[in-house]
Amino acid sequence: MTAAIKTRMSNRNRIVAVLSPHARNWCGAVRGAIVAICLAANAGAAPLDAAAESYRRCLIDDIGRSLNAARTLRERLLAGDLDGAKRAWIESRIGWERSEVFTSGFVPELDQQIDAWPNAIHGFHGIEAKLFGANRTDVGNETDALIAHLADLQAQIEHVHLAPQRLLNGVARLAFEIGGNKADGGESRLSGTSLNDMQNNIDGIELAYRVIFSDAIEAGDPGLAGATRAAIERIKAAVRISDLRRLNAEKLRADSEELVALLQSAGPKIGLRKPTLEEGSE
Amino acid sequence: MIDSAKPRPETWLKTRGRGFIVAAVALLFGLPQYATSFPIEGDQAVLPAGTELNEDAADVPHEILSSEYRGDRTSYVVALGDLAFNSPAILGDVARRAGISCGTCHVNGASNAKLFVPGLSTRPGTFDTTGALFNPKADNHVFDPVRIPSLRGARYLAPYGHDGRITSLRDFIRNVVVNEFAGPEPSTTILDAIVAYVQEIEFLPNPKLGRRGRLNETASETERRGEALFSKPFPHDPTLSCAACHQPSGAFVDHLQHDVGSGGLFKTPTLLNANFNAPYFHDGRYDNLGQVVDHFDREFGLGLSAQDRGDLVAYLSAVGDGRQPYDRDSVMVRFKEISNFSLLLAQAIGMHDRETVELAVDTLGGELRDLIERFPDHRDTAVTGALVERRLARGAVKDVVISLRRIATAMMSGDFDAATAEYRSYYDLTFSRAMPLLRGTEPWSLFNPALREAHDAQRRQMLRAAQAQR
Repeated sequence: MTAAIKTRMSNRNRIVAVLSPHARNWCGAVRGAIVAICLAANAGAAPLDAAAESYRRCLIDDIGRSLNAARTLRERLLAGDLDGAKRAWIESRIGWERSEVFTSGFVPELDQQIDAWPNAIHGFHGIEAKLFGANRTDVGNETDALIAHLADLQAQIEHVHLAPQRLLNGVARLAFEIGGNKADGGESRLSGTSLNDMQNNIDGIELAYRVIFSDAIEAGDPGLAGATRAAIERIKAAVRISDLRRLNAEKLRADSEELVALLQSAGPKIGLRKPTLEEGSE
Repeated sequence: MIDSAKPRPETWLKTRGRGFIVAAVALLFGLPQYATSFPIEGDQAVLPAGTELNEDAADVPHEILSSEYRGDRTSYVVALGDLAFNSPAILGDVARRAGISCGTCHVNGASNAKLFVPGLSTRPGTFDTTGALFNPKADNHVFDPVRIPSLRGARYLAPYGHDGRITSLRDFIRNVVVNEFAGPEPSTTILDAIVAYVQEIEFLPNPKLGRRGRLNETASETERRGEALFSKPFPHDPTLSCAACHQPSGAFVDHLQHDVGSGGLFKTPTLLNANFNAPYFHDGRYDNLGQVVDHFDREFGLGLSAQDRGDLVAYLSAVGDGRQPYDRDSVMVRFKEISNFSLLLAQAIGMHDRETVELAVDTLGGELRDLIERFPDHRDTAVTGALVERRLARGAVKDVVISLRRIATAMMSGDFDAATAEYRSYYDLTFSRAMPLLRGTEPWSLFNPALREAHDAQRRQMLRAAQAQR
């Protein structure tokens, strides 16, 4: 292992160690609060459109937190606080990754600006390359652009029509995505936070499922609802590990594909079509 | 019914790839047919940073099976062996998590001349099979990588292992699976199938060789002089010659071990298709055949002139040649393998063979997911054209992957009728929907060398940013 990589690991571990207790508490509390608020708004088994409106508040909240963390990142950069900047970058990823149910299908242009991959020279991963790869804080311009795009996204979420079909598509697509190969270190390998991405992805899937679809599927086919909940739980358990290298990738892939298959079966049970796995392939 | 509808594979070509991330310096050592690729980077990968598996190669070795020569369909057993050979699932935990299969090192049965794993390789194309990474219990605590051998013509080349320590190909393969890569004890069916598959891998035909390994009328004067020198007795021991061990009539081997001054007793390697088997010697110490000739000249006091050396190299290059050594990786190359494995899957469903279905779903699913990555989505800023078509193609392949999963689920629950019905859906999705969409969109995929380069150029730019200290 090169000295540069050792240094990178050391820095990352220190940051994660500092962040983790806070992040875990924050994530847990916020997730619980969001679900409680959203479920309260959705009380009475409202139609899917109403449930999608409830989910809008969750999205606004998540992207808002991502945006706030990106602004903190900007402040930390100006202060020359490398560790603080890294911490803010990691925080900013949380809300973003939870929102991928929505972002990939509804706002692909902003998705490319914010989360270009695998050859990013801007957005989260462009910043990650310099911040974590080279320990540089001269990513002000990229961060300004990220803030602008996240703010644009937040504004769009207020008004965009959240069609339940497209949201179900988004849940199924993210479920497929989470089973992708991570043997090479995953998406955020320079920061060493690919596992966090996956954990936040499945949290986002669970949130959207519970807020929008769970009650309707339960009413239409309790067995299917139970199997879907179990599949989500299996994925959550699969990524509840401390090191990406310990991931049982075969099992995760199978679990992710089984969840997609269940969601495809669920669509017609709740008055929707089978979810498609790419935008435009309806 | 399914068999008759299947296109009969003309060749059996495989590649694997998972798009490993950028690194600063592309490892350019190796064959010119390979494009620049990207070793693993970062500290979260299963394999060490700097690992190069060459899975993004633009060209892949050409494979010919014996059944193809005979004009026969590949047997179930050989197809099962091919599947297992390309499945990480038969190996141990680390290999599975890294996505390593037999086919990673022996791509289509040929050697992977660019494979490099820090700590297990001294140079590209070598690997320490007794290192600790894949099986700590097999660790001999000596850093002793050996050249990754080609398996072409393996059935003619006993004994096995560079030191020729194992007589039986079956025992050798079991040793690789169980000891070197910590896999579970393979079932008799799987082990026999892998043996059957490896025994089917033929040498590439060599248009320069005639009967009994002699050069034919197409040979040049230089090559003919080399052929004569090859059989000429060594000056200090007339019982020896190159041809005494590399017997032209016997696949250029004598099935024995010799000490040729390379540090011990090693078996005589074949010279057939050797042009594609660099690096040379058991430890891969030599890059080219000229260095090999120089070694023997030095060790055995042959007193070769410059012309002699040139003639011998020309002869060895003629013997080591082969027709169509590589194929450009493409949708159709991928679909030849998918077709072969799909046929096997149909047969396994019909036989209620859950183990094989599981293996086929796992391997096919991995291959299909890799294929999806060759058609980038909107997040790839280097590929901009035909986004709608790329999405359609990606979506179609994803549907195929989910259909496979439904087959596996039905099989595991013992619902063989449902599995059969789902296979029909899988078949249509694969060959009537996904394949045409992929072929139509191929010019806007990473199979297009120009787009691949644009994609890679941006990856390099990202890497430079990651490495540029202020």
